[in-house]
Amino acid sequence: MDKQNRRQFIRTGIRWILFGGMALVAGDLIFRKGEPLFGKNRKSGPTVWQLDPAKCIQCGRCATNCVKTPSAVKCTHAYSMCGYCNLCSGYFKPETKTLDTGAEKQLCPVSAIKRTFVEDPFYEYTIDEALCIGCGKCVKGCGAFGNGSLQLQVRHHLCDNCNDCSIARNCPSGAFSRVQLTDPYLLKGFGKKNL
Amino acid sequence: MKKKTILIFAIMLFLVFVAWMLRDLFMVRPELQKNPYDYGMTALRKTDTVPSYTELSPLKPVLREITSVAGNQDGKIYIAGKGGVEILDVSGRMLKHFPIRGYATCLTLMPDGTLVIGMEDHVELWSPSGNIISVWQAVDTNSMITSVAATQNLIFVADAGKKIVYQYDRYGKLQARIGEKDPVRKIPGFIIPSPYFDVGISPKGELWVANTGRYRLEKYSMDGSLLTSWGEASMAMEGFAGCCNPSNFTILPDGSFVTSEKGIERVKVYSPDGAFVALVAGPEAFDEGTRGLDLAAGSNGRILVLDPSRNQIRVFVPDKRN
Repeated sequence: MDKQNRRQFIRTGIRWILFGGMALVAGDLIFRKGEPLFGKNRKSGPTVWQLDPAKCIQCGRCATNCVKTPSAVKCTHAYSMCGYCNLCSGYFKPETKTLDTGAEKQLCPVSAIKRTFVEDPFYEYTIDEALCIGCGKCVKGCGAFGNGSLQLQVRHHLCDNCNDCSIARNCPSGAFSRVQLTDPYLLKGFGKKNL
Repeated sequence: MKKKTILIFAIMLFLVFVAWMLRDLFMVRPELQKNPYDYGMTALRKTDTVPSYTELSPLKPVLREITSVAGNQDGKIYIAGKGGVEILDVSGRMLKHFPIRGYATCLTLMPDGTLVIGMEDHVELWSPSGNIISVWQAVDTNSMITSVAATQNLIFVADAGKKIVYQYDRYGKLQARIGEKDPVRKIPGFIIPSPYFDVGISPKGELWVANTGRYRLEKYSMDGSLLTSWGEASMAMEGFAGCCNPSNFTILPDGSFVTSEKGIERVKVYSPDGAFVALVAGPEAFDEGTRGLDLAAGSNGRILVLDPSRNQIRVFVPDKRN
């Protein structure tokens, strides 16, 4: 093999670097996150942040890590899953004896859940989004004892949709991901219509 | 000399700065890990009550996704789940396994040994040898059958979807609807917020139903009159912890009740009149979040607990020290 001079060596090196870079970009475009660049399964369009209630562990970081105050993550209610319980474990603190709306009996630290009598023994629970801080305390109680109809979701009319979401970066369970703007909520059950 | 001192000081300052950066990058500070909005499940799952039962080696069925267990006094254990039924002897050795089509949600034995299997929306009768006897028509389009119980001639089917208990004869003919709200007969109706709705027959032939939205067990006559009830909502050991409890129960040969709960997973024994007697297994015995702890009375005072999280039949015997 002929010995290369300095000029040839630099030229060959640049060619290989360019070739390798192009291959990496092409590979990333084709295989990124299982979304192919071509074909009928291709998804396109703008995306937004959302959290998957099935992965959420109610760690409280949605309340403390969001750049918005209060957080853009709110408790949402999938009414179709709700048992309309008198003793709602998402509304009342554990060990509560008398079931009334006294502030000291409420689990929510900001009293963002409203309890309304429907008929004996059923009550409806609605979320006051302006008050909700997205701490997930009610979500934990509802999921542990009840049906899990209270679920945290990023509310898109409040979210700044940061490129590097501070909550997603700190989420210990990997519940945050980017979803298509055309289908921006990941509520379990049949609750999407309730938003 | 002065220059040298400044240089050493600068190097030390630089090293301290690098150490601080490394700590900030790689160390996890506990104050940031702590959840200021913690619900406190860890504290709720701790109990001071000492279990009065000892756990033996669990039985590990071949079936995946087990949902229901039943036992009889000669020691045989019947397990149902997705796609099959398994019969074990007292030591856990498999005696029989036969496939079924679909998802069995509950199982009971008739006094003559016939297996009554609740599927999601209908009931099937099988012989212990694995031959199908009859398949009943679907109860209702919105039905969710969660429990079955049987006497010599009657079969009771708990339907969480319709919030009612159906009484059938052994040929599948509907005899009565039990638990429908009826102010005239002072029947408040079943409140079933989630698909946990158990039914059982006592040794005296009495019908008991878990009204989980009211956190109590209710006794009904065979014609559907509400006779009595017991139970209250409480996180304390004597009560049932919150919504949809007791999720399951069974009745021992002496008329005592064994109950299981979700949320705070615990299995307890109550006297025939509903007084708390003993803790069989506390929350620490189960994985957090385990639901659907089906129960059965085994031979020699054994209590069988179906653990869907571990896909095992857990076996508890009375502790001789107690």
